[in-house]
Amino acid sequence: MTLTMTSLRTKFLPFSILRQIALAMLLWLGLAATASAHASLNATEPRDGSVMAVSPAVIRLTFSEPVSPTSLKLTLPDGRPVVLDAFVVKDKLVEVVPPADLSNGTHVLSWRVVSQDGHPIGGSIIFSIGHPGAASPRIGDGVDWQVRVGLWGGKIALYVGLFFGIGGTFAASWFANGSRNALQPIVTALLAGFAGTMISAGFQGLDTVGEPIGRIFDAEVWKAGFATSFGRTVVFMFAALALAALALASGPGRSARWISLSALVTAAFALSLSGHASAAEPQWIMRPAVFLHVAAISSWVGALLPLAAEFRRGGSDAAIALRRFSNFIPLSVAVLLIAGLILTYIQVLKIEALVTTSYGRVLLIKLGLLILLFALACINRWRLTNRAERGEAAAVKQLIRSIVAESLLVLFILGVAASWRFTPPPRSLILEASEPAIVHIHSAKGMAEMQVTPGNAGPVTAAAIIMKEDFSPLDPQEVSFVFSNPKAGIEPIRRKADRQQGNTWSVTGLVLPVAGVWIVRVDVIVSDFEIMKLEGEVEIKP
Amino acid sequence: MLKKIIVTAAVTMLTSTAAFSHVTLEGKETPVGTTYKAVLRVPHGCEGKPTNVVRVQLPEGFYAVKPQPKAGWKLEKVKGAYAKAYDNHGTLVSEGVKEVVWSGGNLGDDEYDEFVVRGTIASDLKAGGTLYFPVVQECPEGLKERWIEVPAEGQKASDLEMPAPGVKLLQRLSN
Repeated sequence: MTLTMTSLRTKFLPFSILRQIALAMLLWLGLAATASAHASLNATEPRDGSVMAVSPAVIRLTFSEPVSPTSLKLTLPDGRPVVLDAFVVKDKLVEVVPPADLSNGTHVLSWRVVSQDGHPIGGSIIFSIGHPGAASPRIGDGVDWQVRVGLWGGKIALYVGLFFGIGGTFAASWFANGSRNALQPIVTALLAGFAGTMISAGFQGLDTVGEPIGRIFDAEVWKAGFATSFGRTVVFMFAALALAALALASGPGRSARWISLSALVTAAFALSLSGHASAAEPQWIMRPAVFLHVAAISSWVGALLPLAAEFRRGGSDAAIALRRFSNFIPLSVAVLLIAGLILTYIQVLKIEALVTTSYGRVLLIKLGLLILLFALACINRWRLTNRAERGEAAAVKQLIRSIVAESLLVLFILGVAASWRFTPPPRSLILEASEPAIVHIHSAKGMAEMQVTPGNAGPVTAAAIIMKEDFSPLDPQEVSFVFSNPKAGIEPIRRKADRQQGNTWSVTGLVLPVAGVWIVRVDVIVSDFEIMKLEGEVEIKP
Repeated sequence: MLKKIIVTAAVTMLTSTAAFSHVTLEGKETPVGTTYKAVLRVPHGCEGKPTNVVRVQLPEGFYAVKPQPKAGWKLEKVKGAYAKAYDNHGTLVSEGVKEVVWSGGNLGDDEYDEFVVRGTIASDLKAGGTLYFPVVQECPEGLKERWIEVPAEGQKASDLEMPAPGVKLLQRLSN
């Protein structure tokens, strides 16, 4: 019996120990739970918002209590997210090893941890390497030079077809009685224009969809090219080139004149349908200005080849052509200059942009070449025209040389102008920089009118006007802005705002690394014990 | 049996924790019309910095208030008019302490302390509701930790980043 009891006891002993352990555990868990609070992030290394010279070897997050990370994600300057799975937890400290050699620009580390109480919390820290700001994708190393050269070459060929081909056809029929002396170079120019227009459409497509040159024969690429505003230019250019060919084919006479004029008008119209200048506001000025600029250039430049050809051939026809041209050209140059000035004024806006932007520098080069061209034109007109008309052999020879030189200069100018395709005009840069993203947030207690400037991904300044719901001023103790982008996996970025004049509060030095819809929250500490939270969405452009 | 206990423990832990975050009140619920000892538990400082000042705003309906002094802390009672008069053992009181400030202390981030205010919960407050005691902790360098958010309708206290400590009101005890 005793034996039985003892055996029973020994049998149950392990169980009672287990029970005690379990109870102790229960108590301990209860106590642990009681003592715990939500974790908060106490310190980080690198510090939130800091700029470093080199990529950090390790990122340290110190919390107010022990935590377990559930998600650690780094958003790179180009907006790509990288999951960080190399981390070590040492009590309250989480050490994260980022990828080696992070590129220059702003990085966002979004963390999510669970603290002892099982409550997940998250946040983001921002740090920059080298300089703050999102790297701009597609600019710099993203440039496909083959496609650029194709676009540029195509554009030059298009210009040659327009100014020497269509312009030449126009000049031959109007100034030189439809003379066929310059037929060969004019036809060559028209063919160049046809080829240039054609390949421009293809390269425009490649540029639009961001594909390499190897896909130039892809139907989708061409479709994309024609879908842009340049597609309309291509269509009208083809029509203009065909009209010019028709004018040449119909031989000298009235009809050829009118057909060549319509070719010139169509071509000028074609160019006014696309490009930086045509896209600028106010369009009712800009489009006609482009049209007139192009038409005037065509009538001037177009006359160069026929005139040279006539003088080479000799005879009185050359003198008549030159006289007609000389009578007409002042009007043409006046229109060209006025239209050009209008275009320049609206595109550049600020005088310093001439040297600070690549668009401005291209313009300066073009202006320099233009001055040379005008100098040559003046020599022609005032020193050579009268003598050449009288038939002085030396003057004729000089005039021919001068015209050839002018033609070469024009080619240079066209080459320079074609590179505008790749330089956004200062107008659009200024516009881009000054276009803020705006969000109005309203609640039953108050409202915030927030502006994020610029409204593009990268370094921004956020400013909010904070008012009561009846638009009367509110005098808060403290204001914080909280930005998050759950879709991009970016946890809340919290910044304390500074009071500006009046009821405007702002945060500078903020970086929103990716484009898209951001959730913005304005936390307004109305008084010590009263907080107002205003939440809205703001769209940040790339 | 063991499994059951562990499950119970786990459940206990999960259910009891949500309410134990941040600055909280020790007494989770109290009947209306009785004396309530509000024990504010301060679990940590501001971003690792020690707490120098603790301020609590007393809710309307919590009257005849007496804060408990603390050694090493200066006690300040901010008085004002109540929204209405309350019956204090036969005497109508229409003003009293509305805010209590303990200042000049130094409660480390790695230390724990409690701050106590005693008062009466008005008997005409609705049972089932919650009375909130918003708290602000002040630390060096102008840092503040605020526990002042009151859940809006449909919100839970655990959804808030800085929930104000609250006490649930129960039915009046029958005499």
